[in-house]
Amino acid sequence: MSSGGIAIIVGLIVSITGLFLWLLWRPYRKPKPAAGAKTAPPVTRSTLLERAQEDVDHIFNDEFREELRNRGRLHFEKVIGENAMFLQQDLRETTTQVNEYMRTEITRTLQQEFKKYQESISDAKQLALSSIEKTVATIEQQRHFLETQLQAQAETQKARLLEHFESEMASIVNHYVLRAIGNQIDLSDQLEYILAELENNKKAIIEDVKSGI
Amino acid sequence: MEFKLPLGVVSNTDVSHLMRELAALDEFFIALKARKAGTSVAPPRLTRLLDQISKENKLNLLQTSHRKSLSNQLAKLEKSAPLLHISFAAEPSARFLEQILAWLRENVHSFCLLQVGLQPSIAAGCVLRTPNQVFDMSLRVHLEKEKAFLLELIRGAVSER
Repeated sequence: MSSGGIAIIVGLIVSITGLFLWLLWRPYRKPKPAAGAKTAPPVTRSTLLERAQEDVDHIFNDEFREELRNRGRLHFEKVIGENAMFLQQDLRETTTQVNEYMRTEITRTLQQEFKKYQESISDAKQLALSSIEKTVATIEQQRHFLETQLQAQAETQKARLLEHFESEMASIVNHYVLRAIGNQIDLSDQLEYILAELENNKKAIIEDVKSGI
Repeated sequence: MEFKLPLGVVSNTDVSHLMRELAALDEFFIALKARKAGTSVAPPRLTRLLDQISKENKLNLLQTSHRKSLSNQLAKLEKSAPLLHISFAAEPSARFLEQILAWLRENVHSFCLLQVGLQPSIAAGCVLRTPNQVFDMSLRVHLEKEKAFLLELIRGAVSER
């Protein structure tokens, strides 16, 4: 609450107290006798109390009470408004602090998480590099092994082809001769060769013919 | 007297032809006896081969005994003569075949008969098949024997490059 509000309230209390004291003091004060008037009859205590009650009723009438109520309402509204303002301000400050705190905490947590994440990434990278290096080494070994194997197979195949060519060379040349000059070979020209071959196999032929008869 | 087989008789098919021809001649003479007087006679014409075999063996085919003798000889040949199968790359001429047959009858057996076949893959030379063996006298076998020389030639040609 502001100092103005307090001063108003204090002022009101002081004025009400002053008014009350004046009302209490008034019946005891000696009235000045009016010139030419008769002496008034003596005032009793009950009369005074009745008069005081009447005066109080007279002072605190409905208008005055309404005025007081309006003032109190206005003051209450003012106090409520000021409190609301203070509360809003406090709330704003609290919100700002909470935001600041949250920001700091989140930043700190995120930094920690990022750090962990970076460490994890670094570890994973290291692991991947190590794995790649191993794979490369294995591939190199396999390549070397395959190269050796292929060379050996190529050599074997080459040797096999050469061997096959050498073993089938007579047939190949024969086929070539047959294709090249097959139609031009005259049997009469071969007679001498055939007779010579028959002569070479003469003994075996005779033996086989004799065994067959 | 020793039976002579002319070089014209090459295969057992020729022997069979001669036997059929002799049988036809026999039938002619039987029919000749049964013919009525005055009817015309048309004697069967002898082939060159039958004429040749009868001349070489000095046989008179008008005589039944000679025909019988020749028929028996031919039947004997058909049953027991050694039959050789010989293959060439091309169809041989009669002259060529006679020379081969002459060598066989002179050096192997006097009644050798040949069955001629064609085998173009031989290229040159021949393949002789006796009852139990095959004598490959073709160019391929000759080249096989000369393989070392061929290899030497090829290696020489390759190394020159």
